[in-house]
Amino acid sequence: MLGAVLKAIFIILYATFVGFMFMGIIRKVTARIHRRIGPPIYQPIIDTIKFFGKRENITHGLIYDFGIIFALGATILALMFIPLGSISILRTYGDLILITFLLEIPMLGIMFAAMSSGNPWAGLGAQRALLTLLAIQVPLGFAIIALAEFYGTFSTYEIVMAQQVGGWSIFHLPLLLVAIAYDIVLQAMFGKEPFDMMIAPGEISLGPMVEFGGKHMGMLQIQHAIGLFAETLFFANIFLGGAVVIAFSSPILNTLATLGILLVKQIAVLLIAIFIGAIFPRFTIDQAVKFYWKWPTIIAALGAILASL
Amino acid sequence: MVDWRLFEPLFNWARKKSLWIVSFCTGCGGIEMPPLMTARYDLERFGIMPDPSPRQYDLFLITGYVTPKTLKRIIITYEMAPDPKYVLAHGSCPINGGIYWDAYNAIKRLDLYIPVDVYIAGCMPRPEAVMDGIKKLMEMIENGEADGWKRYKENYEWYRKNQDELLGEGWREKEARKWIPWLMDKKKEEGT
Ligand code: SF4
Repeated sequence: MLGAVLKAIFIILYATFVGFMFMGIIRKVTARIHRRIGPPIYQPIIDTIKFFGKRENITHGLIYDFGIIFALGATILALMFIPLGSISILRTYGDLILITFLLEIPMLGIMFAAMSSGNPWAGLGAQRALLTLLAIQVPLGFAIIALAEFYGTFSTYEIVMAQQVGGWSIFHLPLLLVAIAYDIVLQAMFGKEPFDMMIAPGEISLGPMVEFGGKHMGMLQIQHAIGLFAETLFFANIFLGGAVVIAFSSPILNTLATLGILLVKQIAVLLIAIFIGAIFPRFTIDQAVKFYWKWPTIIAALGAILASL
Repeated sequence: MVDWRLFEPLFNWARKKSLWIVSFCTGCGGIEMPPLMTARYDLERFGIMPDPSPRQYDLFLITGYVTPKTLKRIIITYEMAPDPKYVLAHGSCPINGGIYWDAYNAIKRLDLYIPVDVYIAGCMPRPEAVMDGIKKLMEMIENGEADGWKRYKENYEWYRKNQDELLGEGWREKEARKWIPWLMDKKKEEGT
């Protein structure tokens, strides 16, 4: 019992720290792409401290506060189900549908809070975010079907173990197609550029985030950090082979090696997202929905059909 | 309860290192903001980020002359932000009216209406000058001298009196209601 609690605390702390570093990497790499120097890599941590150091707080009622906590809680819960090498606590229950579902719940929490603020920009952003959420379901569903069909199981941990034997998922043609579709979906889940209609800085002010200041924004920063970590970790687990290292004799060395390998894979996923995000302009919402129901769906459906043959 | 005053140096350091600017470009100086953010004079090195939301910013750049019409929006944007917030007046116009000293609709002294922490002279100032002003502001934040938000709270009657003298009593409600008759007329036109 105590061990599980300690593990959970470790996972949360590690995910928060690494997630903040990921946010820093996003800003730093984007700056380097623009030939700027960019902020220091620990900048998101400073931002968060600043948000928690605000003297005043604005609140628009109970749902406004609750939505943020709901989003943060759902992200943490999703993280608990994803196998982080050998140190996850609920990994036996972590099946694909559950995790995919939990990774989308935070968006709903933010929507609750945004809608209850009564700001028209937030309402507009919420509408767009829900439409995006609707659009990505189709390729996402096909991706999950293909994975389950190929490995014959829904359990993420068993998929990771199967990849230890049979090679990474992306080296099998049907799953490679699915991985491509999933990577396009990931762009919308990160809120990165071609599909960041729900936030749309400059176009609709900040969308759902427009009304959050002070501590609410600080919580959202933490939520974003953990969300980034969880989404990249999930991708690395189901497509890039995860990592369960048993090469060393001491368990601590094994754990460290696992975390290191996972980190490299996660950063690879993140870098692809940054490169795409830095060079593509934003879609309008109707184009994005049309796009998601066309190309990623076709690719993922093809993968699913090939996987079931 | 935790005594948060203990953490004040940490918070001050964080406030100094991550000033988010609200993108409120008034007057000519608005053209000086993009160069500050882009590749040549990259302000993101200091953790400064443009941000379109009035709830999240810490630094309000008044970039040039302020007309009474803009002043209403400036005051509302200023009052919307949560508390440690700083104002940097940029150019000669917010200081004393600049070349618009005899204009009937340019504010001569911004300091009468909202508290200003740092002024930068120049028409318009070079990006280096703005960076210098921001560096000065960072020093002031570190030793707790940048207290415009505190002054605004303490002397609210005075600021309020000045605002009302210029813009007329009840300007907030009037501004919000201004479009309603026009909309009604529009509806009538469409109806017939
Ligand atoms: S100081 Fe000069 S550049 Fe700035 S707003 Fe006034 S006239 Fe324009």
